[in-house]
Amino acid sequence: MDKVDKISLLHEKLAQVEQGGGAERIAKQHNSGKMTARERIEALFDENSFVETDTFVETRSIDFDMQKKKVAGDGVVTGYGSIDGRLVFVSSQDFTVIGGSLGEMHAAKITKVMDMAMKMGAPFISINDSGGARIEEGIDALKGFGDIFYRNTLASGVIPQISVIMGPCAGGAVYSPAITDFIFMVDKTSQMFITGPQVIKSVTGEDVTFEKLGGAETHNSISGVAHFRSSNEKECIEQIKKLISYLPDNNLSDVPVFASQDDMNRINDNLANIIPEGSNKPYDMMDIITSVVDNGDFFEIQKHFAQNIIVGFGRMNGATVGIVANQPKFSAGVLDVNSSDKAARFVRFCDSFNIPVITFTDVPGYLPGVGQEHSGVIRHGAKLLYAFSEATVPKINVIVRKAYGGAYIAMNSKHLGADMVFAWPSAEIAVMGPDGAANIIFKKDIAAADDPVEARSRLIEEYRDKFSNPYVAASRGYVDDVIDPATTRIRLISALEMLASKRENRPAKKHGNIPL
Amino acid sequence: MKKFLIKVNGNQYEVEVEEVRDGASAPQVTFSAPAPAAAAPAPAPAPAPKAAAPKKDTAVPAGAVIIKAPMPGTILNIHVNQGDTVKKGQVLLILEAMKMENEILAPNDGTVASVNVSKGSSVNVGEVLLSLN
Repeated sequence: MDKVDKISLLHEKLAQVEQGGGAERIAKQHNSGKMTARERIEALFDENSFVETDTFVETRSIDFDMQKKKVAGDGVVTGYGSIDGRLVFVSSQDFTVIGGSLGEMHAAKITKVMDMAMKMGAPFISINDSGGARIEEGIDALKGFGDIFYRNTLASGVIPQISVIMGPCAGGAVYSPAITDFIFMVDKTSQMFITGPQVIKSVTGEDVTFEKLGGAETHNSISGVAHFRSSNEKECIEQIKKLISYLPDNNLSDVPVFASQDDMNRINDNLANIIPEGSNKPYDMMDIITSVVDNGDFFEIQKHFAQNIIVGFGRMNGATVGIVANQPKFSAGVLDVNSSDKAARFVRFCDSFNIPVITFTDVPGYLPGVGQEHSGVIRHGAKLLYAFSEATVPKINVIVRKAYGGAYIAMNSKHLGADMVFAWPSAEIAVMGPDGAANIIFKKDIAAADDPVEARSRLIEEYRDKFSNPYVAASRGYVDDVIDPATTRIRLISALEMLASKRENRPAKKHGNIPL
Repeated sequence: MKKFLIKVNGNQYEVEVEEVRDGASAPQVTFSAPAPAAAAPAPAPAPAPKAAAPKKDTAVPAGAVIIKAPMPGTILNIHVNQGDTVKKGQVLLILEAMKMENEILAPNDGTVASVNVSKGSSVNVGEVLLSLN
């Protein structure tokens, strides 16, 4: 074989690898509304920036005639490239090759790029589209899963890890996405579950479809497993790019800063009008957030889950901030099991990656109820307190209205280490609402009064005037300043600049023991 | 369809029960006359009629979208009536809970199939408030 032949052989082999599982299977993939593994990478990365690794890796298994089924690449495309000019590592499972099933070498390709992502300190994106463990490879396939979970865990808090579900992701395979920071799902084509509909039917007798059991809607609104939902793969990839634009490369780098088109001294007169006259009237917290962040651009995470709390990214004077806010429009903005989990996990992500946290507080308290208590609202609520206390990134709290009782403490209070606490004049910071407080404190007075109803409402008013305002907390220094709502953006940007050099030392330890 | 034999005050009743799922047919509950074996005199009123004819205001038509109470609270106001056409995001009723007048919104366009609560009534988490077709 001469030199020319050798080179043409290489091109022949490469062309074969590009074909994946063959034209027929690729057509099937397209017909079900899915892109191929390579098309997804192409759509995600900057043009011509993708460099493949382990192109020729194939399975070593010879059991059950695996040597006859083997295809170069072993059902996963791995490598690196750039997204908006930034280095990102990727693995993308190829459903057309042996159903994208995960065997020993398939997993080895994935762990290799994960190790590279860790060394280079760059985000890792894993695109999942696989039938699960390759049964023919037995425990070598299980080893492969274990190797990935282990690296997901080591990389957690070191590099951002993003999982994209664009097909089936079942059984053990779900635990890699579960350990990563964000999960994207696509309507109708992605599913995640531990046991599928057939097994469930045979064990519990329940009838359920794939989509209802573990589709994008289910995991975005009911289980809270996923963070983003889109109607097709193109839309999903645009969301991933947008998310990446907010994230730093790793835990030692700073957040990306974009030149801001929005005046940092912008006064916002409408902010005060968002809060309704009566304190028992709801409003949309999103109006406050979008009025304050750069260009009104807020990237919400877990939009459909635990809607009584809002979490997501925005920019202030060009730099990423994480925002946590109670949403009075949904369930009065109470803290409960799910909203505590959602917010705590987000705060911990921000803390891992040097993203300052801003909270907008309007919380009536923790949700009462047997259901909540028995679901462990004590254990789950504790996560939020833990996450805020643990975080050493700049922490700023803006109390816009209610901040009552334990929920006041939990929502990024001064006592949990908030660096700056601002309150609007509409703030009501107290141990509990006026009605409940008056009933307890003035119980005897109300009972002894000639007209208990009149006495009660008079005493409630008295309590409200005296305690349901920001000035008691401000007089103790629990609130750093009471501010004009119109100046919120200016005050926040100024506080973020002051806090940019924040350094806070904590006792050395392996890690804390967050109540899980 | 499942069949049960139920004994009330010595009278035996044959009861057929069908589980209703989303999109399934309307509930069918049929009762047969006491089995001949039971010859007890004037039995106390069997619970049958009560179950067979559920209160009108709590009936939810099969296949309707059910809107449940997200929190325990009191119904402050109901803005719609049975048969009204509603748009997605429209305020259906106000549930006062956690010192807040919570607006319960229509999750999608449709017509109000049933209103299952009345003004002033208190509801628990998960209780059916109304349903949409």
